[in-house]
Amino acid sequence: MATTGINYIPAKLVLLGEMGTGKSSLVLRFVKGQFFDYQESTIGAAFFTQTLAVNETTAKFEIWDTAGQERYHSLAPMYYRGAAAAIVVYDISNTDSFTRAKKWVEELRQHGNPNMVIALAGNKADLVDNKQVEAEVAQTYAQDNGLLFLETSAKTAQGVNELFLEIARRLPKANPTQPSRMIVVDRSSERLVSTSYYCC
Amino acid sequence: MDRKRTGVDDFEPGPIPSPRPVDRFGFVKQDQNNSSEGLTKSKPLIDKEREERRARKWRKMIGIGGSDWKHYVRRKPLVVKRRIRKGIPDCLRGLVWQLISGSRDLLLMNAGVYEQLVIYETSASELDIIRDISRTFPSHVFFQQRHGPGQRSLYNVLKAYSVYDRNVGYVQGMGFLAGLLLLYMSEEDAFWLLVALLKGAVHAPMEGLYLVGLPLVQQYLSQFEQLVKEQLPKLGQHFMQEMINPSMYASQWFITVFTYSFPFPLALRIWDVFLFEGVKIVFKVGLALLRYCENELVKLPFEKLINALRYFPQDALNPDVLLPLAYSIKVSKRLEVLTIEYGKRNGELSQPTESRNEQVEVTKQSRK
Ligand SMILES: Nc1nc2c(ncn2[C@@H]2O[C@H](COP(=O)(O)OP(=O)(O)O)[C@@H](O)[C@H]2O)c(=O)[nH]1
Ligand SMILES: [Mg+2]
Repeated sequence: MATTGINYIPAKLVLLGEMGTGKSSLVLRFVKGQFFDYQESTIGAAFFTQTLAVNETTAKFEIWDTAGQERYHSLAPMYYRGAAAAIVVYDISNTDSFTRAKKWVEELRQHGNPNMVIALAGNKADLVDNKQVEAEVAQTYAQDNGLLFLETSAKTAQGVNELFLEIARRLPKANPTQPSRMIVVDRSSERLVSTSYYCC
Repeated sequence: MDRKRTGVDDFEPGPIPSPRPVDRFGFVKQDQNNSSEGLTKSKPLIDKEREERRARKWRKMIGIGGSDWKHYVRRKPLVVKRRIRKGIPDCLRGLVWQLISGSRDLLLMNAGVYEQLVIYETSASELDIIRDISRTFPSHVFFQQRHGPGQRSLYNVLKAYSVYDRNVGYVQGMGFLAGLLLLYMSEEDAFWLLVALLKGAVHAPMEGLYLVGLPLVQQYLSQFEQLVKEQLPKLGQHFMQEMINPSMYASQWFITVFTYSFPFPLALRIWDVFLFEGVKIVFKVGLALLRYCENELVKLPFEKLINALRYFPQDALNPDVLLPLAYSIKVSKRLEVLTIEYGKRNGELSQPTESRNEQVEVTKQSRK
């Protein structure tokens, strides 16, 4: 920002994934270094920012954490449209959440920004005894689909900073055509094509 | 209601959390924001006396067990409205809520139904509910203990509702409504109050907030955006420039009726009015918050703005400051027009925001 003279590269990032996989916890770990066993459920969406130095530049993440439940699906496009990056989260101790994650990836490929950096995060990696989704399976899926993949634990902090760092590294260096915020100005066209999410 | 049988009782209750100081409403005290402290701290004696005097007036008004209530409302609706706007005495809140929401009648007409739903039916939403149970009011003593009585009741009410109306099932956010109710009444009473709200016993049904596509959320947000533009044009303009739309800050206001991340004393006062007057108070309070902070908000860029819309200053959240401002904002007529317009644009799927005149038969029809 102007005051510090450092050149921040803004990067809009959205978290998607089934409820309870640890999206909010991952953000909280990354932004504040905290973790709560009983993280309050997210209703609607929540916004956070955090900067991260990568080589000679500094990425400034503008993060939208979404409610994960399927019923809230209709609100999600507003947050992933125009996003430069997405983290799709599943819970390694829950196979269904992995299935849901794959659906999110498909949706992002179809409707998201084509240059979007997509990361797949297998969260709750600390729950080794209850592991249901093997890392190799997720890794293969990620490779086939051009995703970044990491196992993370918001609880122990394992992989969390690495995840954001890897994303920052892959962000286009400068992206003048890409507005860093969500494309809400583009409402006029959306109004015509879509009634499936909030528009006026 | 009998709280022994629950769907989660294969688990032993967790340890009772070590006693920490709680505020007058049972929330664990936090250092600063989000606690109800500061607003209720050390009530002066005069306030206490005034509270007692008000409770006496209310007792007289409602009669024993609420027996005089209907009669009184019919005779003096404006007196009732005025008294409710000043806040229902906390000791009578649970009872009065059941009277004004119409839930008491539902309960009486449907003896045994709740128990049936809790004990014999299974729900596709059970896993989702369990996942959210310990994440609903995690800082309240009643809901803190794992598998303790608070969590069990919450589970039962939500499960029962998800069976009662399988189209709605369980949707994140409903837990905060149920949680709030459970602090003031039994499980069964809380369940019927949820039914009264979602099915529309007295006011327009709220279930559209939770149905697939969240149609009523979309409608209310669109109407709210329009009202901001009309009533706070400077701020509306600023929101447009900064690409803020109400879905980013107000969806949880509607989905949880201010029970999510708002100070509890404020939420209660809003609910007093909400149950009597309907959803328009949510619009009014939302607009009042924006108006109170307008001069600050119009100066802020996107990022700070989003934060300011989430964490309002303490003084703005004081019910005795915010609510009078909210009451002074007129929305009813405009809302009616906007509802009709919205309906036309969206194929008449929208729902009225105004109270209904006739009492609706809300029971049984949604069960097989
Ligand atoms: N063991 C473990 N629990 C976690 C982890 N991340 C989140 N949780 C817990 O999982 C639950 C859901 O987390 P939350 O972040 O709210 O999930 P969200 O619904 O995806 O936002 C909470 O009770 C968290 O404490 C993790 O890495 N390990
Ligand atoms: Mg969350």
